[in-house]
Amino acid sequence: MIVTDDSAVHTVPGISVAVIGTGSIGQDLVSKIRRSPVLDCTLVAGRDPESAGLRRAAGLGCPTSADGIGAVLAAPRPFDVVFDATNARAHAEHRRLLRSFDTLLIDLTPSKIGQMVVPTVTGVHAPPEGDVSLISCGGQASVPVAHALADRFDVRYLEVVSTVASSVAGRATRLNLDEYVATTQQALTAFTGVGGTKAILNISPAVPPATFRTTVHAVAPGADAGTVRAVVDEAAARVREFAPGYRVRTCDVRGELVVVTLEVTADSEVLPAYAGNLDIIDAAAVLVAEQHAVRLAPAARRGVSR
Amino acid sequence: MTAVVIHDPTLRDGQHAVRHQLGTDALRGYAAAADAAGVPVVEVGHGNGLGASSVQVGRAAVPDDLMLSTVREALRHSRMGVFLLPGWGTSDDLRRALRQGADVVRIGVHCTEGSLAERHLGFLAEQGAEAHCVLMMSHMASPAELAENAARAVGYGARAVGIMDSAGHFLPDDVSERIGAIRAAVDVPVIFHGHDNLGMAVANSVAAARAGAGIIDGCARGFGAGAGNTQLEVLVPVLERTGFTTGIDLYALLDAAEFAERALMPAPPVTGSLSIVSGLAGVFSGFRHQVLEQARRAGVDPRDVFFELGRRQAIAGQEDMIGDVVAELSARGPAA
Repeated sequence: MIVTDDSAVHTVPGISVAVIGTGSIGQDLVSKIRRSPVLDCTLVAGRDPESAGLRRAAGLGCPTSADGIGAVLAAPRPFDVVFDATNARAHAEHRRLLRSFDTLLIDLTPSKIGQMVVPTVTGVHAPPEGDVSLISCGGQASVPVAHALADRFDVRYLEVVSTVASSVAGRATRLNLDEYVATTQQALTAFTGVGGTKAILNISPAVPPATFRTTVHAVAPGADAGTVRAVVDEAAARVREFAPGYRVRTCDVRGELVVVTLEVTADSEVLPAYAGNLDIIDAAAVLVAEQHAVRLAPAARRGVSR
Repeated sequence: MTAVVIHDPTLRDGQHAVRHQLGTDALRGYAAAADAAGVPVVEVGHGNGLGASSVQVGRAAVPDDLMLSTVREALRHSRMGVFLLPGWGTSDDLRRALRQGADVVRIGVHCTEGSLAERHLGFLAEQGAEAHCVLMMSHMASPAELAENAARAVGYGARAVGIMDSAGHFLPDDVSERIGAIRAAVDVPVIFHGHDNLGMAVANSVAAARAGAGIIDGCARGFGAGAGNTQLEVLVPVLERTGFTTGIDLYALLDAAEFAERALMPAPPVTGSLSIVSGLAGVFSGFRHQVLEQARRAGVDPRDVFFELGRRQAIAGQEDMIGDVVAELSARGPAA
């Protein structure tokens, strides 16, 4: 299990969370936060008062502001958790501004700052200090399988090719392709110990839109098809505990090359099914926040101010 | 006489035909020959551009830095071009290429995704480099969409913009209409890059020039995936006869093409059966090797694979879809 104590989640009081960014990621986060018994969405902050994301959040009864990070800083007491769904450059600034606050900052941009979390590999505990990075959608989809393969076989090289539908690749994603590549590659190396890694992102305009997919290529001499399939299936089953739309589409061994294609459909009230890229990263982020709520709970129960 | 600028991606797009295995002697020799012919721009790199050496499309025999330095040393008059696909290569790759002396940098994006070029065109503008934007797989968008994406690229800083007929799908009238639409939307030179799947590359290029394209791509002996690109040494004299000037020396160009045939390729491209199918299906010819290999392994008809990839609107870079399609066709069993 990923959440260490499920019963605790249902007995702790809700902690206050804010979401910065009102694109597709931000909107899905708001919906997932509202499904959580321990997270209270107490602010959704964007920059454009007319944005669909802000209007939708207000419609759900969430307090909203068009003052972006300014609204987070101006809150009467710090939020327990702030989700940053803006862009890599803005995140660096948000982190600086929030450093002195007693707030867990969970980063959904590919900024490469913060401790990297992949739920099935690292667990979902936030570090005692500093913030959490969710790496990238391709990182969330590929690292569980890449890690499992590297654990079992002699992996010499890893390459991860992801395809996201154009209609859910917002401007921040498009401007942050360089960061996506660097951050995903760094995560692959960090969690597998494989030095040679490459990340590639395709944006598909296909109609109807293409379901998010990630192909993991691993050069792994000696890997046999049967064991590979078992290792991959087991890793995928663990990811499905929090991202139920995660599945192995193909799994093939061609000589020394292992090729695994993963597909993620969204389990979301606001996202179309093909937007699994956003669903998996948001689901992971919410798990981190819920675990943080469990950690904060004893203090909250004693009424100790934090 | 109207001048057109010939842009020669033999040493970049041609790489698709030889799985990105061109060695330094081939690179140096062809670059020197094209330079001697007065070819204005010689483009070099992995087939999918800077930073694209990968299992997904093929790993290059020579690293980017060495490819660029080899060609740079061989060019005395010609300018050196490079190519980058955002999401494949990064600004770091661009920075290195500029340090290596790249003069013309093309950013390639799928034809409907002009906004993917914003970051890198902006970076190149800051660096003062000559940046172009090419809209790939351009048969997948209407003339109006192409014009809109082209105008967007110019807004980001592109000093030339145009279309690649990556699947070799167009006929001359298609090209005239699209180049005309782009010309009406931008005030920078317009690029046309053809492929020969349906035997139309030279005719399409002439149509492009007549419709006002100022930069036309061609490769020696048509060196490129499948049926290959527009054959450069045919394109140039045909353009000249049609009333355009290229500034290229015909005999030296013919010599460069002979060198290319000898040193770059096992055999010049032909419009083989599978190339016709990929052109009709509207699928990037670069998929050819992997389609053939995987279809053979699974015992399915590679033609069915191409048509199915076309139906799924696979774009350049999505080689990983070949495995899905082959597996599904194989599971379906032989066609009735």
